[in-house]
Amino acid sequence: MSRDSNYDHHISIFSPQGRLYQMEYAFKAASSASGLTGIALRGSDCCVVVTQRKVPDRLVVPSSVSHVHNVTSRIGVLATGMTSDCHAAVQRMRYEAADFEFKYGYAIPPAVLARRMADLAQVNTQSASMRPLAVVLLIVGVDDERGPQVLKVDPAGHYLPFVGAASGAKEQEATNFLEKRVDDIRGYTLDETVRTAIVCLGSVLGSDFRGSEIEVAIVKGKGGKFRSLTEEEIEEHLNAIADDADA
Amino acid sequence: MASSGSGYDLSSSTFSPDGRIFQIEYAAKAVENAGTALGLRCRDGIVLAVEKPLVNRMLVAKTTGRRIHTVDEYAGLAITGFVSDGRQIVNRAREEASNYEETYGTKIPPETLSARISTYVHYFTLHGALRPFGASTLVAAYDPGTKRHSLHMIEPSGVCYEYYGAAAGRGRQLARTEMEKLSINPARVASGGGEGEGGGGGGGAITVADGVRQLAKIIHSLRDDAKDKPFELEMSWLCEGSGWKHQGVPRDVIADAVEWAKKEIKDNAEDEDDDDDDEEEEVGGGDVMEE
Repeated sequence: MSRDSNYDHHISIFSPQGRLYQMEYAFKAASSASGLTGIALRGSDCCVVVTQRKVPDRLVVPSSVSHVHNVTSRIGVLATGMTSDCHAAVQRMRYEAADFEFKYGYAIPPAVLARRMADLAQVNTQSASMRPLAVVLLIVGVDDERGPQVLKVDPAGHYLPFVGAASGAKEQEATNFLEKRVDDIRGYTLDETVRTAIVCLGSVLGSDFRGSEIEVAIVKGKGGKFRSLTEEEIEEHLNAIADDADA
Repeated sequence: MASSGSGYDLSSSTFSPDGRIFQIEYAAKAVENAGTALGLRCRDGIVLAVEKPLVNRMLVAKTTGRRIHTVDEYAGLAITGFVSDGRQIVNRAREEASNYEETYGTKIPPETLSARISTYVHYFTLHGALRPFGASTLVAAYDPGTKRHSLHMIEPSGVCYEYYGAAAGRGRQLARTEMEKLSINPARVASGGGEGEGGGGGGGAITVADGVRQLAKIIHSLRDDAKDKPFELEMSWLCEGSGWKHQGVPRDVIADAVEWAKKEIKDNAEDEDDDDDDEEEEVGGGDVMEE
């Protein structure tokens, strides 16, 4: 193949310092490829995901550009990173969720799905023939036993549950914002959670939004359905935020 | 920053230090240099057009080396880039459509067909033993269930979006600019028209008959007749008039559109005279293109 002595930069093998360069590059691709930032929060009985909606050009139908997807009717995912990798990951998630329910007779819990996707991601970090998917998944759902869950799965195969998680270009800034409020967020109602998520996104991007420029999706209560908010509903929240800011 | 690849561009399964996959970007370049392919979503249907350069005067140009293919009764594909790569995508799309109907008993919905194609194309960007397809695919399809027609484009990376107007290949920048001027985006069509959203359809004020002419004009205005080889203009549509079935646009309609287009271009040009050495072979009459 290549006569480059830095072979460890090219396929998934260890460097002499014990690093996996391809995995690190995959992280870079996942955070910078789309330029978007995504945020997921869980409140007392609900989960919320928020991200920007950037339509690549005016000839594209806006509804076909979405990073928020249903995996089952009750579990949703915000996938940031390389668009086609995101799509592939979501397809696989849907298959895994359906297969689980077929085999075991009950709906897959979000944490189990996250673990499965993490295991699949890990395989690619150990094989030379396939590259890691440049995707960070924020999986949200309300678990029957544990309540609302937000799980983050990354290209390395890590998965962890969070109260508030961010992904993408401004991940660090968003995480800082959320860390200051983490104790409050745990007890938030749906409206408070949605508004906190939107305010967080606005503050890290340094701009205000219109309803058409962001995507917001929620799932509330055990047995609740994961669904995207309409533009009108988003506008309502934006107005409420503006009123609070003025007050 | 290795913007020239330098060792990170040898396989699809390698990321560069700045998180790029060069093989995918190179595959996109293969498409950028190829003949232009255009798709337009109109109020009453979709039109596809591909510029097919004729490499050899001995070619039977009208019927061979097709770049537009029918995939299912209500679905058609236009390809540009490496056409042989594109043919593989077409074959796969036909299999997907046929399997779907066999399994579910209904025609494959446009979004599902496009999603399947994009997943397939994306797969080839994952493995070191494979290379990405060097072809972009435009999918025009109609869903008899929802009665909605839609246009999608899949790039070599596997990215797939739905479009009001899509362009790939050499002339895509110019084509996009021209298409934006046409009223195809319902959100931007004047609200007074009331025709922005057709019943269960969408697509703007322009009709398929207009669409054929506009695409002919765009393709002809991209050509530099002194420099470029002669070409054949392949066009197809699926529209209310065709019963929503994907069909070739009749040759006399194409010829008509080309005549109109040339006249428009001539009228618009400052003081050039461009209608001499283009050797298109669109002739009126003859058979309708069928797959």
